[in-house]
Amino acid sequence: MTELLRVADLSVTYGSGAPSVNRISFTVGEGSVVALLGANGAGKSSIMKAVSGLTPSSGAVLFNGQDIGALPARARVAKGIVYVPEGREIVGELTVRENLILGGYQKAAAERKRRIDMVLDLFPEIAEKVDRQAWRLSGGEQQMLAIGRGLVADPKLLLLDEPSLGLAPLLVRRVFDRLATIREESELAIVLVEQNLAVTMRLCDELHFLRGGRIVGHRRAEDLKDEAARQQAIDAYLGAAA
Amino acid sequence: MSFWDSLLYDLFPLIWSGMITGCLYALGALGLVMIFKCSKVVNFSHGNVAGLTAFLVYGLSSGMLMSLSWGAAVLVALLGAIAIAFLIYSIISPLVFESDLTSTIATLGFGLIAQGVTLLIFGADIVALDLPIPRFAVSVLGLLVTGYDLTVLAVAVVTIGALFMVIDHTKLGIAFRAISENPFAAEVCGLNLRSVHYFAWITASILGVVGALLIVPTTFLSVTTVATFMLQAFAAAVIGGFASLPGALVGGILVGVLMNLFTFYVSPEYSSTFLLAVILVALNIFPNGILQRVGGSRV
Repeated sequence: MTELLRVADLSVTYGSGAPSVNRISFTVGEGSVVALLGANGAGKSSIMKAVSGLTPSSGAVLFNGQDIGALPARARVAKGIVYVPEGREIVGELTVRENLILGGYQKAAAERKRRIDMVLDLFPEIAEKVDRQAWRLSGGEQQMLAIGRGLVADPKLLLLDEPSLGLAPLLVRRVFDRLATIREESELAIVLVEQNLAVTMRLCDELHFLRGGRIVGHRRAEDLKDEAARQQAIDAYLGAAA
Repeated sequence: MSFWDSLLYDLFPLIWSGMITGCLYALGALGLVMIFKCSKVVNFSHGNVAGLTAFLVYGLSSGMLMSLSWGAAVLVALLGAIAIAFLIYSIISPLVFESDLTSTIATLGFGLIAQGVTLLIFGADIVALDLPIPRFAVSVLGLLVTGYDLTVLAVAVVTIGALFMVIDHTKLGIAFRAISENPFAAEVCGLNLRSVHYFAWITASILGVVGALLIVPTTFLSVTTVATFMLQAFAAAVIGGFASLPGALVGGILVGVLMNLFTFYVSPEYSSTFLLAVILVALNIFPNGILQRVGGSRV
């Protein structure tokens, strides 16, 4: 599998405190799904923001072999690194369609329209409400819009930050069904940040366990197929925090 | 004079002329609100920079600096206003992303610089800027409508209409609204926040120049004329909620009408005090602006 993203010795420090992310390294292959698991404060979102250029970091971030550490967020979006943040971060006053246009802001008009149509096909729930202001959508629909907005940008690497957060189990399943569809139908690579191991297992190829800003363990998804192995991994790497 | 006569000969003309002046306040207020909405900076240099460009039109068309035609002078002044807005934002943009308060205070400094440059180049004299506005007056249902009124109305409708068209129906407008509400989301989508800030600052400067040039024919041009006019625009922006473009428009017209009525029926001496009282009352009753609506969010 060709390597798409290489993160090496990445550290993120806010203010003068201890680093939130401390010299972590991992790789993501083309078309693969890598999960970062950990409790609150483990540094998962900081890694995502650092990779997408939204927070300063040290260490190396290589995308398609090119060092992108000095590039601003918009240049990384242009290269195909798209972040879907925790808490959705949709623009509530804009309509669903306008949010999707925002997602494809860097695309030419025809390409943007094609990709918006594709996203609306993928998420019929929001297609019905395309001219409605985004804040009027339900939580699940807002999450679909956030993912859809990311997909309009035509990403090569999608950074998905806790897509299950705050959603009812049924909606989580629906969102992950769509992500599975996207995975089957495209060569899109995904870095998935989650606290919920059960839903993560549906999608990912490999998992990194984080604690205190460090990667404390790594497993292939196929090694965690049975419940006992999963529980063992949680106990070993995340401990009581999980 | 009967009640109806008073209504016909005093109140309606006062409301009409208040609306005309209010359109100009709205132009100024829209500029202030555009800048505040997307970059969270209260631009205190707005009035003095618009005043400088009004003087530039005077200097370029009167022979003081050059003897250009009126149209060419306005064009050069508009380009000058755009350049000044570009320069001011370029200098304060590092501050904008660090502290709203610091960048707001910086605009006070730029306002003083603009005022100083105006005094340095054009002096402290009061001058007349005679724009080629059609001079006629017709009576419509007893209301005296002048060429100036119709010019202001036409320019305001076209300018504000074009602005709302861009904000509501273009990709740039979507970016402006997105950055105004959620700059993080806009950045996540790959938008260049600075580019959209430039759009807001430059558009605001154009609105300021248009407002300044149209208010000057009703008075003389001095170094404080436009800055004083922008105080009314500031009040309009506050009444409109300072973060609402339609609110700025309604606030401008409201300030124009109320100021006119107070000046005529009560006293011109206390019009500024009255304006302050209107702001205080509006802020107490509508802290988020007169057009505040019940919104919400779902999680």
